[in-house]
Amino acid sequence: MNPPVPPEIGSHVIPLMAALMLVVQMLLIAQRMLLTSIRLFAIQSLLLAGIAAVVAYYYNASHVYVVAVLTFIGKVVFLPWLLNRLVHRIQIHQETDPLLNAPSSMLVCGALTLLGYSVTRPFTSLEKLGSNTLAIALALLLTGFFLMINRRKALTQVLALLTVENGVMLAAVALTTYGMPLVVELGIFFDVLVAVMVLGILVYRIRENFASMDTGKLDQLKG
Amino acid sequence: MLLLTPILLAPLAAALLCLLVPSRRVMAALGVLAFATTLGLGIVLLNEVLAHGVVKEWSEFLSADALSAWMVLLISVVSLATSLYAGRYFQRDMAAGVVTPGRMREFFVLTPLFGSGMFLVVLANNLGVMWAAVEGTALSSVLLVALYNRRNSLEAAWKYVIMGSLGLALALLGTVFVYAAACKSNPDSLPSFNWSYLMSVARQLDPYQLKLAFVFALVGYGTKAGFAPMHTWLPDAHSEAPSPTSAMLSGVSLKIALYALLRFHILTTASLHGRADVGFSCHLLMGFGLFSMLLAPPFILVQKNLKRMLAYSSLEHVGLICVGVALNSPLTIFGALLHMGYHALTKPVLFFAAGNIHQTFHSLEFRIIGPGVGKVLPVTVMLMGLAALAAVGLPPFGLFFSELIIISGGLTAHQTTVSVIVLVALLVSFCGILQQLTRILLGARKPGDHPTDARRTDGVPAMALLLGSLLLFSVWLPAPLLELMRQAAAIIGGTP
Repeated sequence: MNPPVPPEIGSHVIPLMAALMLVVQMLLIAQRMLLTSIRLFAIQSLLLAGIAAVVAYYYNASHVYVVAVLTFIGKVVFLPWLLNRLVHRIQIHQETDPLLNAPSSMLVCGALTLLGYSVTRPFTSLEKLGSNTLAIALALLLTGFFLMINRRKALTQVLALLTVENGVMLAAVALTTYGMPLVVELGIFFDVLVAVMVLGILVYRIRENFASMDTGKLDQLKG
Repeated sequence: MLLLTPILLAPLAAALLCLLVPSRRVMAALGVLAFATTLGLGIVLLNEVLAHGVVKEWSEFLSADALSAWMVLLISVVSLATSLYAGRYFQRDMAAGVVTPGRMREFFVLTPLFGSGMFLVVLANNLGVMWAAVEGTALSSVLLVALYNRRNSLEAAWKYVIMGSLGLALALLGTVFVYAAACKSNPDSLPSFNWSYLMSVARQLDPYQLKLAFVFALVGYGTKAGFAPMHTWLPDAHSEAPSPTSAMLSGVSLKIALYALLRFHILTTASLHGRADVGFSCHLLMGFGLFSMLLAPPFILVQKNLKRMLAYSSLEHVGLICVGVALNSPLTIFGALLHMGYHALTKPVLFFAAGNIHQTFHSLEFRIIGPGVGKVLPVTVMLMGLAALAAVGLPPFGLFFSELIIISGGLTAHQTTVSVIVLVALLVSFCGILQQLTRILLGARKPGDHPTDARRTDGVPAMALLLGSLLLFSVWLPAPLLELMRQAAAIIGGTP
């Protein structure tokens, strides 16, 4: 079967939403309040769910709707709720000073985004969704790694991991014709949910044992 | 008759039952029963694979070739020994008040789940499902590493889960690239993501994309397999986890990640067949393997903690297996598979013995365990000594033969430098391990330092089972097993 030729608008909307995801990522990097960071992650995931829905609509691929709904339920509703509850339980609301301050973080992330664009250049020919989406996905991945290194609170590192995962899922939408097979999407969905639950348990236990969730204090094991 | 499904379901059922049953004995027995069942089924699977080639179930959702069948056997044996050992181990921990009943139940529920996840990794036909299963094994083992809820174990668990998840995110990206290549070669429909399908169209897949996918998979699954320099989580997790979990992590979990990577290696090599860059994935594997082998011995020499030393030895063995595969001759690949098996039989014994020592001396630091452990725990020390001799590669134990096969295979393939590097690394860690262990195991105890709660027979059945089969299979490899490994080596080597 041939996919119906997508109207011009589809290939404009998707890069636009992907770019918005990157903007949200930048806000997340500058943000130090944990609850706001969780909200920003929810917005980013909402955009991802939106992209999946747009792909499903323009390419008549009904199984991608399922992906959109799963992303919405999991990453926009459930995980932010879970992380919010965790923040209230451990009573730490603010991130300490990151290694790099906000302006220099922005510069680094700008450089990482450029890197994302330059390494994906050979791929632009095989993309159907405009040439930007894959570059943005890679930029999300790289800035997610940066966020992980730059912050000390265990909870922010969980958020960083989740944005890396969002980047990979965006790459999956950008590179493949109709997203991944449904069984794989289901597997990834449950893995992410369980991962955050496990991480939440660990964060809680670290907070109990160290009276803090600074991962900088996890420095006993060496050599 | 369904064969693969019960292998997945038996540990799962044991995990669910362990949620309900009240007593420790029953939970331990359920674990033993589940993995004894999978071991039996694994032997049936071996015969099926030899008789009919690939075994498939649920319209090819599950499939097992010789390589998967070999891995099923390894997982079953190590998990069986672990379950045998865990019952007594936790009895002592409970008596010492180190773990609560809740935490102990956590162990008996999560361990079969961990096993079940590993079975799914090797039996899944779909590369995406394989990824999800690897992530599942990581998640189920993280809470096992954090079981003691001490500061150090939480630190180890946090490093493990963050490194593992970031690595696996990259592996997922690699998986996505493979699927993208499949989509590109067949743009009009939703292509299957099954391994068997991908292999059948390997020559039509975009080689550039597969190479990129392999790089991501190498970094991703390589982190989980403990390749240097992504190995930093490995000694932490292995040393802070309860000893039965350390045995599973080192005995099979590392090799499961390596298995996942090997699938990408096979696919990439098949797709590059006949091109100038056909050795692309081999070269990368060789680099990481040799680096891991070279990095481990210095850390063994300066190590002050028993289980961390064993963890670095695992790093070296994984590196050697990787080098064996990367030398890419039928002989060395066979040697690598053989090494995988022998290592799976050896390393858990060392970790079980370390567990006994830990419970008796309440420490793993060499200076506290201190000389003359043999006077306090004679049986444990004797078995540990034998396993250590096996692990450093002395005959008559199998690891000697598998190492010899890999080194001589390298020489035959005119890879003299590689063989020499391997030999030097093995020699240094040989000296390191033996020197460190003789210092603590032999000699006289310091006066007035006799721990009172030493128990002589703890864990002996599990250790004897593994050492016994190691000795048996070192001198006599049954013909079906040999044939299975030959076929598995042929799958990796790409020969038809």
